[in-house]
Amino acid sequence: MDINTLGLPLAVLGAVLAALLAGIGSATGVGMAGQAAAGVVTEDPGKFGKVLIMQLLPGTQGIYGLLIAFLTLSNIGVLGSPVDVSFAQGLMYLFAGSLMGFAGLISAKWQAKASVSGIQMLAKRPDQFAKAMIFPAMVETYAVLALLISILCVANIGKIAL
Amino acid sequence: MAVLPMQHIRIYALKQNRKAILELLQRRGAVQITDPKTDSPVFEKMDTATAQHTFEKSAQTAQQALAAILELAPEKGGLLKKLEGRRALTLTQYEQGVQKQEEVLKAASRIVLLKKEITDQRAEITRLQTQLDALMPWYGLDVSMRVKETRSTRVFIGSFPQEWTEEELKQALAQQNPNLDVPVCEIISCQNQQTCVFLMCRKCQGETMENALRALGFSYPANPSKVPPQERREQLQARVKEAEALIRQDEKEILSFASKTDDFRFLSDYFTMRTEKYAVLGQLMQSRHTFVITGFIAEKDAPALKAELEGSYGAFVELFAPGEKEDVPVRLQNGRFSSPVEPVLEGYALPARGEVDPCSVMAIFYYVLFGMMLSDACYGLIMVLGCGIVLHKFRHTMESGMKKSLTMFLYSGISTMFWGVMFGGYFGDAVTVIAQTFFHSDFTLEPVWFNPVNNPMLLLVFSLLLGVIHLFTGLGVQFYQLIKQKKWLDAIYDVVFWYLLVGGLIIYMLSTPLVTSMLTLTFMLPAMVGNVGAILAVIGAVGIIATAGRSSRSIGKRLLKGLYGLYGISSWLSDILSYSRLLALGLATGVIASVFNQMGAMAGGGIVGAIFFLVVFVIGHSLNIAINLMGAYVHTNRLQYVEFFGKFYEGGGQKFSPFSLKTQFFTIKEEH
Repeated sequence: MDINTLGLPLAVLGAVLAALLAGIGSATGVGMAGQAAAGVVTEDPGKFGKVLIMQLLPGTQGIYGLLIAFLTLSNIGVLGSPVDVSFAQGLMYLFAGSLMGFAGLISAKWQAKASVSGIQMLAKRPDQFAKAMIFPAMVETYAVLALLISILCVANIGKIAL
Repeated sequence: MAVLPMQHIRIYALKQNRKAILELLQRRGAVQITDPKTDSPVFEKMDTATAQHTFEKSAQTAQQALAAILELAPEKGGLLKKLEGRRALTLTQYEQGVQKQEEVLKAASRIVLLKKEITDQRAEITRLQTQLDALMPWYGLDVSMRVKETRSTRVFIGSFPQEWTEEELKQALAQQNPNLDVPVCEIISCQNQQTCVFLMCRKCQGETMENALRALGFSYPANPSKVPPQERREQLQARVKEAEALIRQDEKEILSFASKTDDFRFLSDYFTMRTEKYAVLGQLMQSRHTFVITGFIAEKDAPALKAELEGSYGAFVELFAPGEKEDVPVRLQNGRFSSPVEPVLEGYALPARGEVDPCSVMAIFYYVLFGMMLSDACYGLIMVLGCGIVLHKFRHTMESGMKKSLTMFLYSGISTMFWGVMFGGYFGDAVTVIAQTFFHSDFTLEPVWFNPVNNPMLLLVFSLLLGVIHLFTGLGVQFYQLIKQKKWLDAIYDVVFWYLLVGGLIIYMLSTPLVTSMLTLTFMLPAMVGNVGAILAVIGAVGIIATAGRSSRSIGKRLLKGLYGLYGISSWLSDILSYSRLLALGLATGVIASVFNQMGAMAGGGIVGAIFFLVVFVIGHSLNIAINLMGAYVHTNRLQYVEFFGKFYEGGGQKFSPFSLKTQFFTIKEEH
């Protein structure tokens, strides 16, 4: 069997892992923050808008995962015109996708913890919204960095003939 | 870029004018009253705590009454009402309101009383329902539950914590004591692990029976009714009906006030105002015939107020500048372009004494960064239209904070449109997809500059470049601040050396093939220029090592601190890389938009396809705009707060909070 027939499945696995893991992370994170947010809204429905934003903060990792998955799928021809993907290229797509997947999974969870604390902070100090928002946003930096590297990989792997 | 200069103000006046002066100050809202610390034997302060408390309570009563009415008769347009802001009353309307206040307060108290009665009756109904539930298993019993005996028998009414049939129960009793004779054994109900029974035996066997029953877990009912259960049930139900009728009646009475909600709003505002006034009154120094008000006022407001107070109220006003080190409340004033970002600055911290107001520098970057992160012309248009319409519709009454925020989004929307056109985002790639699916043509709206999906490296480089400009600007503001404070040397040590080091390094790196090929740049600086960069960087680095530890005296400590100062270069690296989020978020908007467009196009062309496309399009893009708008907002703030402010801004000023009409629903229009 030609080993290069494995290229495409590996690349798809990379895309799937990016969306899957980052998606799990964000789902967990948004869920955690949502519980805290619901608690605050029970006491004061007027804070809904603010805590909703806080809840959504850990949701971006899932979107980054989707982005990488989508870019991968279109680069390997699952979406759009078919392309040859060698075994080595497939592996590289897998690495690139896993990077976003794992970084997204873990950063979303920790970002959610910062979000939950921020939501609790808003319960007592609703005037400190901007600060409460910045703490979770600090965590997101690392998801953004992972996204950056993943994008660079996915955008350039096709050009490497291996 | 302006923090308004403040002045101390002291107003000396006669007590007979006290009310008039205070009311004038409150309406003008230009003076922040301070609490003077004085042990003067002539002046003393009035204790207004009791009065404040009474007013606060009245305001609460009015608010509770309002809430009670709105609960029964909600008003339409909650969000729009909020956008609309406070309504303006003329002075005459205000006077009319004040005249009615006693009557309205009475009504409010009545409503609060009714509301309390309703709450009590609701609790009563719950209690009755619980009793009814407990009584339910006993409906089959036709005597009082309290019957204990007849002339010659003992009666046992109670329950077992098991489910038993009559036969099982008899057997169980026989097992306990074979001699026991139970002539009447009636199961009244049997459900959910509970069997309610009616048992009778001869009086002489009463005690034996009781022991046997106890062994089987028999218990008497907790609240036995005196009358037969059915009768008791009717009694309870009648009481429930009574309570319900009472609630209905009370609600009807509350609703009869529904047309007067504005009266209660006015009352709430009126007493809030009075509370505030009395809080100020308690801070005044007063002698027998005079009083003194001390506070802060913006320099530009001072002359007009001084003239008015001295002219119309015979007061004497003294104005003087605050000391160098004194903590002065901060009031910002910015033009149309930069005032919208004031709330963003307030969210971080207001400038401390001696710091500049960074709004005008921040504003331009804020709009640019926001636009790059969202970067879709159509989304930008939606923002501009949405904010523009709301701003125009409520332009007279909208609160200034809300107005500023919406204007900020309006300007950011314009920038979003600009970047959308640059990068060719119109609802993502909707134009291409629609052209392909429905018109089978290859029409595309070409980006004016380039498409980031095809060339992410270029956007990355551009983002980092923007980051360097942003950070250098921040450092420039620091330079300006230090020069303004005449700290010439600090300006060189803390700013110029960093410019040399970071700037030199960047120039040097741009002359190496490693970096230029990594960033896929099409140009490379000549080696000559690179060397100049390297020399500049070395000068900067040496300078930093020599001066960063200048606060320490010992040479060794200074050197170590200097080296640690040089380590700050790592934070520059992370700060610059942080701007890669411009690429990430910009791509995210475009890619998600195109995912939705492709999903919409899945049903193909034709009428059905078009309808499907429209549905997916509307839902998908609403979702995308919501998520990315939030993302752009959060991350623009972050870049300002963490990266930009990190270079020069500390903040920590107190907000200027003048003695004013801090009302919730109405403002009072000045009549001149």
